[in-house]
Amino acid sequence: MLTPLETQLLGVMMMVIMLGMGASLTFRDFLIAFKKPKGVIIGIVCQYGVMPFIGYLLAVVLGLPPPLAVGLILMGCMPGGTTSNIFTYFSKGVLALSIMMTSVSTLVAVVAVPALVAFYSGLAGVTGEFAIPAANVAQVLVVLLVPTMLGMVLRKLNPNIGATIELIGSMLGIAVILFLVVSWVPRNYQLLLQTPWSVFFAAIGLGLFGMLLGYWLARGLRQDGNRSRTISLETGIQNGPLAVLIVTLTFQGEMQQQVLLVPVLYSLFIVLTSSAVTVWYRQIATREALARDAAKVRLGAVAA
Amino acid sequence: MTAESTLYDARPWQQAYPGAGIPAALPAPRHRNLAHLVHSACEKHAARKAFTTVVPNGMNGTLTYAQVGEMSDAFAAYLRQVCGLQAGDRVAVQLPNGLAYPVVAFGVFKAGCVLVNTNPLYTPSETIHQLNDSGAQVLVIVDMFADKLAEVVPKTGLRRVVLAGVSEMFPAVPNLVVRGVQRVWSKVLPPIPPLAVPVDRFSQAISQGRASADAATVRSWWFDLPATDIAALQYTGGTTGVSKGAMLTHANMLANIDQVLAMGKSHMGGDECVLTALPLYHIFAFTANLLCFFEIGARNVLVPSPRPVQNLQRAIENYPITWITGVNTLFNGLMNEEWFTAFPPKHLKAAIAGGTALHHAVAERWQRITGTRVAEGFGLTECAPVVTFNPMSGVAKPDSIGIPVPGTDVRLVDDNGVPVPQGEPGELIVRGPQTMLGYWQRPAETDQVLRDGWLYTGDVAVMDTQGYFRIVDRKKDLVLVSGFNVYPNEVEDALAKMDAVLEAAVVGIPDGKTGEAVRAYIAKNPDFTGELTKEAVLAHCRTLLTDYKVPKSIVFRDELPKTPVGKILRKDLKAEVKTEFAKRPQA
Repeated sequence: MLTPLETQLLGVMMMVIMLGMGASLTFRDFLIAFKKPKGVIIGIVCQYGVMPFIGYLLAVVLGLPPPLAVGLILMGCMPGGTTSNIFTYFSKGVLALSIMMTSVSTLVAVVAVPALVAFYSGLAGVTGEFAIPAANVAQVLVVLLVPTMLGMVLRKLNPNIGATIELIGSMLGIAVILFLVVSWVPRNYQLLLQTPWSVFFAAIGLGLFGMLLGYWLARGLRQDGNRSRTISLETGIQNGPLAVLIVTLTFQGEMQQQVLLVPVLYSLFIVLTSSAVTVWYRQIATREALARDAAKVRLGAVAA
Repeated sequence: MTAESTLYDARPWQQAYPGAGIPAALPAPRHRNLAHLVHSACEKHAARKAFTTVVPNGMNGTLTYAQVGEMSDAFAAYLRQVCGLQAGDRVAVQLPNGLAYPVVAFGVFKAGCVLVNTNPLYTPSETIHQLNDSGAQVLVIVDMFADKLAEVVPKTGLRRVVLAGVSEMFPAVPNLVVRGVQRVWSKVLPPIPPLAVPVDRFSQAISQGRASADAATVRSWWFDLPATDIAALQYTGGTTGVSKGAMLTHANMLANIDQVLAMGKSHMGGDECVLTALPLYHIFAFTANLLCFFEIGARNVLVPSPRPVQNLQRAIENYPITWITGVNTLFNGLMNEEWFTAFPPKHLKAAIAGGTALHHAVAERWQRITGTRVAEGFGLTECAPVVTFNPMSGVAKPDSIGIPVPGTDVRLVDDNGVPVPQGEPGELIVRGPQTMLGYWQRPAETDQVLRDGWLYTGDVAVMDTQGYFRIVDRKKDLVLVSGFNVYPNEVEDALAKMDAVLEAAVVGIPDGKTGEAVRAYIAKNPDFTGELTKEAVLAHCRTLLTDYKVPKSIVFRDELPKTPVGKILRKDLKAEVKTEFAKRPQA
């Protein structure tokens, strides 16, 4: 489990991460999203339709015990991670869409996450001491909206400060995971050795299946390749640190230890899987961008 | 040579001036030379923001006019006192758009030296040719390409090298971040190879310069510099042959600045903010963006790399852009971006296009999206560069290069230099205060293009009754089929009308029967899903072109060779044809 100091540190880091997320946003981004809401709507469907369902399905199919199941379901119900923005940036995806999906899903999270966690936990038969109180989740999320707003304002006032905070926030998303690796893994390596393969499968699979389904759902709904790749990354990459924070604020001692296992494993592996996917997407995007620059003006578009 | 001479010499285009707010005559010269222009602007607009460089993530750095003035003084002092240069010595500058560029270029002018703009993307051998041909003694190069120095320095007469970064003069933290990303993620900061000449960082050069001379000393270097002295050797010939330096004097550039300002005046005034996405080492951006807008106290938003076009998003969002200069590909690229079409810059007053022909469809769509017209012009390096422009208000004609700028004479002539009648195609020749002195150390080439005070452009054009010109083609690209002139542009336009064709280039090939025959190089449109066959192309051409213009030979290519600004290089294709036919016996 995490010490109280570590929990507090995690809380502070989350604040900075959310400040960075806010700094990645402009009011104009929102307006573009509202003008062409399809991408964001598809994103929300992926985020709160597909991901929680994958989490639930994996938990049931793999027959995970309640503490692990609730960890997996919670992980599936999380809003988009801010690290997805940095991966989208490096994969040359549609940054604005990624940012929009992260922010809209974070806003919606205040309502959606507590409801979904309760719904799927119930469905999976998790009750009593392992159920996460909806109020806890909502409270954490509301508190995190404050730094988000502050970030947006800073961005507006000074693009240099905005871009710096944005970068720090995204980097810190990875730093938090490294922090978990350093502080949590050594103390629990015995536990990791005893962890059955099915738990690893669930933790890694949640992200990978999310990316896969996100991509094909977006393609199916006639989004172009670049937007689909962005939605794919955004769907697969969840806000791991947020899940860890919620767990540490909800559970104590041995229980915390058990529930924490899946979110921590997910967070560790998502960095590896999404890095690999990012490199691949980046190659595709570079090819496409050059072709687009050289593309002929579509006469149809002119006539429209 | 009577009726026809009078036809052009009466400057029929001047009828269009009043309606477009263009003065018939240029104002009297206000500046002794370019250094004087820079100095006056820095004093007059001291507190205003002069340049802002924006990188794709929105990080930026800004210099005020006062800072540009002080730092360009320091750079001039560095060149004279530390490098030991004299007036007239050449300084090569190989930088992308960034804050270092104006400081260096203006410093060169203030030192009385000659600026040699050099494309940063040049290969070592191209760079070596240009440095040796110009006799450059100092090179200012972007640190991203420092690795090329190992090959370049030993083969040239360089005495000193200055390195500048893309984020030069950004505030400390953004600078650190940009350099960190360049070094760690994109790996574009190579180590500096060991060199036999001293190497200074830009910031060191500035501080050494500051320590070595005061403003009064710097002033003494430029104050009496005659405007007839050479200000820049601007290399050209990329599309025609070996690269040669056009000698542009201070007077040439000052005149062209006034000519551009005369054409744009109706859309300038108040606080202008110009987006510079085109490279400043290119004469179009150098004169139009850098010098003209500096004179009027505008803010210049510099973008180091406009490709992909996404890189322009933060620059366009965060600054109240009123003017954009670009080329066809840039305007086209912007309109393929969602963020641009959803929120086109709302302060935009005008856009101007140069470099290559602006496609009709692009111009129309631009006007609909942004509500402003794209004015297209015509220019060439040898004329610093602007010769004609479409008026910003009043009558603009599609596919026309507009009317000559004030103070400029234009004639269309036949092969003997005799003016051709109204409406007939002829070679466009120019006489005006902006025409160059000649090519640097190349009297033979100079004599070919400068005759009796007229500059022969090699472009064939026609003039309508109102004095608007339209380019027909390059004279030397004409293909002579059985004695008939075929203009490659005409055939290319016909080919481009096929949906399956992305772009096409037409050149002549030797032919046993007809002397020359038409060959088309075609790049397929990636958006087109069907198959593209030679038969389909020929069938299409026969519907639009007379028999002798229809290509006899068709070659499909993935890509056509292009210059950095997107001009298709017919000369490369011609060279290919030459080697191809040298190998095989004539049919």
